[in-house]
Amino acid sequence: MTARTVCLLLLAPLLATGCSSDEAEPPPGDTQKGRAAIREYGCGSCHVIPGISGADGHTGPSLERIAKRVYLAGVLPNTPDDMARWIREPETVDPRTAMPNMGVSESDARDITAYLYTLK
Amino acid sequence: MNNQDRQDSVQKIRKRIEIHVGIAIAALVVAMGVGAAGFVYWGAYNVSALQQHTEPVFTILNLALDRSIRQRAEEVEPPPLTPEMAEQGRLIYQNKCVQCHGAPGVGRDDVGKGMTPVPPNLAHTAKTKNADEIFWPIKHGIKMTGMPSWQFTFTDEQIWNLTAFIMRLPELSPAEYQELVANDSVEESTDRNDVSASAPARDTALPDPERGKMAMYGYACIACHRIPGTVGPHSDVGPPLKGIGERRYIAGVLANNPENMVRWLRHPTEVDPLTAMPDLDVTEQDARDMAAYLETLR
Repeated sequence: MTARTVCLLLLAPLLATGCSSDEAEPPPGDTQKGRAAIREYGCGSCHVIPGISGADGHTGPSLERIAKRVYLAGVLPNTPDDMARWIREPETVDPRTAMPNMGVSESDARDITAYLYTLK
Repeated sequence: MNNQDRQDSVQKIRKRIEIHVGIAIAALVVAMGVGAAGFVYWGAYNVSALQQHTEPVFTILNLALDRSIRQRAEEVEPPPLTPEMAEQGRLIYQNKCVQCHGAPGVGRDDVGKGMTPVPPNLAHTAKTKNADEIFWPIKHGIKMTGMPSWQFTFTDEQIWNLTAFIMRLPELSPAEYQELVANDSVEESTDRNDVSASAPARDTALPDPERGKMAMYGYACIACHRIPGTVGPHSDVGPPLKGIGERRYIAGVLANNPENMVRWLRHPTEVDPLTAMPDLDVTEQDARDMAAYLETLR
């Protein structure tokens, strides 16, 4: 065992104990329903979405760590309200976007947002 | 018989000592590891820009810096530096360098104060360095200092002009420098805020993905995007660029092909006025190289 491995082994528990304090209040909505809604609306045909099987589309960007993203669609500060709005009426956020209006209901948008906010 | 016994016990003692020394060394290594890990984890190191390194550390860092630059500058072949070049270089200097380095009789701006390492006074630097040792750090920048690489902003020719001016600094009095600057404001013929844009376009070469990858650092793309193949802050300001080579749309608005990618990289706000992606004055060639690199990300 080299000194480096020893160092890393010692460092591991230290790292594991720290850096987990920036938990914001999770947005309202049911993450399980959100997961189902994501399948139903077929979001995965355009986006890679972790945790959704078959969600491997490359039309739009990957939604990995979308909860941590600063901007939505590159134009909107990423808040749960704005995320729901973007999902429901993307054309009102950016008229030029290729993201279509899928007729997502208010409550579905909340649930989808809740799920997407688990992706950190 | 007695002798045999003695030999055995000597051997036993020796073995015991060896084991003890081994344990002591192992314990020392572990202690050092724990110490180093703790030093990092508990934030013992003060990163404040006003907490200067200790004198020995400063000396070693400076030596490493000097040696590194000298080693690499050796491969640079300086052209003859003329007064005309220095005059061209002065315009760049006034625009991009004075903020941190000051000029004869001119103080640095606030960004150039309170930095560690402190941006050197270049009249002093010019006295002790060769032209190639001035050119190299301008072109390549210096890691872990505030010195950026300028190779994606200026051509080699412009950097040599700048070098020519810096080499002249030690013989330039504050009064003479003032005079040069004053003459400018009378003429005001050149658009001095745009020295980089007036750079002669590099000959359009075939897109070079490797150079494009370097441009991801040169234009600070990694400050906002996760880009496979680069090391950086892993920031999620914009989307991750993994798989961008096979993405159908750019920024959700443009069909993804090399031409559109170049357009997007150069003028994002023209493509989408609402975008948070800023115009970074990317040159055509740099954008082509960057697009070539991004295309490889699948």
